Amino acid sequence: MQPDPKSEALRAEVRAWLAANVPKGWRQAMTSVEQESFVEAQRAWFSKLVKAGYATPHWPEGWPGGGRSLAEQKVIYEEVARADAPRLILFFVALYHAACTLTEWGTPAQKDKYLPAILKGEIWCQGFSEPNAGSDLASLRTRAELKGDRYVVNGQKIWSTMAQYADRCLLLTRTGGSQPPQAGITYLLLDMKTKGITVRPITQITGDDEFSEVFFDDVEIPAEERVGKEGEGWAVAQSTLASERGLTLVELSQRMRYALPMIGAEMRAQGRAEDAALRHALGELGAKVNAVCALADRYLLKRIAGEEAPGDASIVKLYYAQVLREFTKLGLRVGGLSAQYYKGFMRGATQETGNWPVDFMNSYNWSIAGGSNEVQRNIIAERMLQMPREPKTWQLPGN
Amino acid sequence: MTGEIAELQESARRVLDGAGLAADEAKTWPQIVELGWLLVAVPEELGGLGLGLTAASALYTEIGRGLAAIPYLPAMLSIDAVCHSGLADREIWVERLAGGENYVATPLAAALLSAEKGGVTGTLSAVPSADKASHVLLMAADQVALLPLAQSGVKVTARQTWDKTRRLFDIRLEAVAIDEELVLARGEAAAALVRRLSTHRDFALAADAVGGASALLERTVEYLQTRRQFARPLALFQAIKHRCADLKTIIAAAEALLVDSLGRIEDPGDEAAALMAKQAKSLACSTYFHVTEEGIQLHGGIGVTAEHPCHLFLKRAMLDAQLGAPGDSYARDIAAAILG
Repeated sequence: MQPDPKSEALRAEVRAWLAANVPKGWRQAMTSVEQESFVEAQRAWFSKLVKAGYATPHWPEGWPGGGRSLAEQKVIYEEVARADAPRLILFFVALYHAACTLTEWGTPAQKDKYLPAILKGEIWCQGFSEPNAGSDLASLRTRAELKGDRYVVNGQKIWSTMAQYADRCLLLTRTGGSQPPQAGITYLLLDMKTKGITVRPITQITGDDEFSEVFFDDVEIPAEERVGKEGEGWAVAQSTLASERGLTLVELSQRMRYALPMIGAEMRAQGRAEDAALRHALGELGAKVNAVCALADRYLLKRIAGEEAPGDASIVKLYYAQVLREFTKLGLRVGGLSAQYYKGFMRGATQETGNWPVDFMNSYNWSIAGGSNEVQRNIIAERMLQMPREPKTWQLPGN
Repeated sequence: MTGEIAELQESARRVLDGAGLAADEAKTWPQIVELGWLLVAVPEELGGLGLGLTAASALYTEIGRGLAAIPYLPAMLSIDAVCHSGLADREIWVERLAGGENYVATPLAAALLSAEKGGVTGTLSAVPSADKASHVLLMAADQVALLPLAQSGVKVTARQTWDKTRRLFDIRLEAVAIDEELVLARGEAAAALVRRLSTHRDFALAADAVGGASALLERTVEYLQTRRQFARPLALFQAIKHRCADLKTIIAAAEALLVDSLGRIEDPGDEAAALMAKQAKSLACSTYFHVTEEGIQLHGGIGVTAEHPCHLFLKRAMLDAQLGAPGDSYARDIAAAILG
């Protein structure tokens, strides 16, 4: 694979910009701080990236920073990983999920209203999952009823990242029946300041509260905030879910590779640099981390070439989730007892912070969210290996 | 070039499918030589195809898939050594070796050698098909040479292995003098050549493992689709499907690492290539072994019968894991590179 000159010119430009602009000492500054400081830092980093044109390479031509090829976007992500720049966690849904969905499905009025606002720093969250619609998203039950020119929404969403800070929400609702469950879903855009919304942050096992529950009590949404037709929401949601196109795992797998020496440093710090068992585990992990990078890289190249096959994305995600788990577990093992003494966590950091219990606990984000490992295995078995789907009907013993 | 390699790989698969699984050496070897497979990595200026390790790896993968019982890797290694040597009549040697006129065997494991009484003493182990070889490639830190086998002080002994798709030999050397005219490299050049050949060998074993693991998983899934218990195909059980998905995933990862690493090689003789080859080898071979372990379990009773080919994959996987440098040294070397 020969690097093309245009991408490589961009690489040099991005590298120089990041060297000059990544906030120095951001990791330390984000450790043991209140969430407000994190939000503030994210906003500052976001506006810098937008101004430089590196936050929106995937946006269509004509938008600031937009019109970059997938190959160029990949370069930007690789450089962001290389520079260990903060991730734009607070703005990810706005920049990718909201923007890509609107670009593909939005009316001209919706695009004019929302896309410039995203560039100005509007925060979006995603209202997809529900307490009883996780892996089985299509079974969602949050109800929207059209009354006159507005939808009235009742129900509950969960796992909405940073919903407590969001200005707007991408909301999946049920307007029709549930046979089949994918039909009867309608996609709405919601102003989070609307009356009847309650947002309740969820405290995770790490002590962080990245996610929230969102409750809807007769929440009114104007009908013009619907994306696509009524009942077409499932198709629209597929665009939302496909919007990041494998770039995140290119970035995160490379970040993991850059973080490998962190385990070596921990071994030295613990006086165990010569421990043969640890060295062996580190060597095995090192090969796997490089394999994740290769897998994520090749997946993106396949997408660029239009050669993606069903199940390819699942393989990358499943393998990444597993290797990340192994990485953090090795950290725990090397860190020993001293890692078991409480240390405040780092906000908005990547998966590898060296606070091993936190890193380990956060690795569940990748094995559960965005399609759990078990769902990915089903996809790989059924769509790639062509193994049969289970029958849809079932009976409990005795029934 | 990518298209050319894909075509080569497809045609190799046709040939080996035609020959059948674990086809006999005597039957397939002449055909493979005839087809020019030994020329793929030979530089164009020496009359080869100049397609490098990437093309060779495509063939190693197919050979792994078909469990072909041919000494392709040791022959390729000795040809590679000659191509990158200071041998006076290099062109003639390449022509003879790539044309199958001579076979120079190469040990696939580390050897303990000592220089005494003006000759070399020690044992070269895991030398494939040495009974068909005119010479063996002698690789020591300070010199690489071709050693004729028909001379006193050289004793070739067949070793039975569990893997029936390879015929390995020990070659015992007792104060065997090295013919100056057959020296390929000395000193630093020898160390560089040995590193180059180790890298080549490691990538080849990785490719063999990826090919074998993929083939066995395909066979396993096929079997699970047809085998019925409790009035349904075994492939319907999620407990089984998930294990197959896990196997598919680790094979995909090992393959991605292999292909990606091959694409990143700048000089097959440098340290960076050696490290990439070690990673590819250790991951692919441990993956292959795991896939064969699971493959037999997923086949159930039929998997432990000699008539079913599962065990052929298992035995080749076990051997692949031990060929090359000592098994555990790979992880140790990778860790050393990370620790700096």
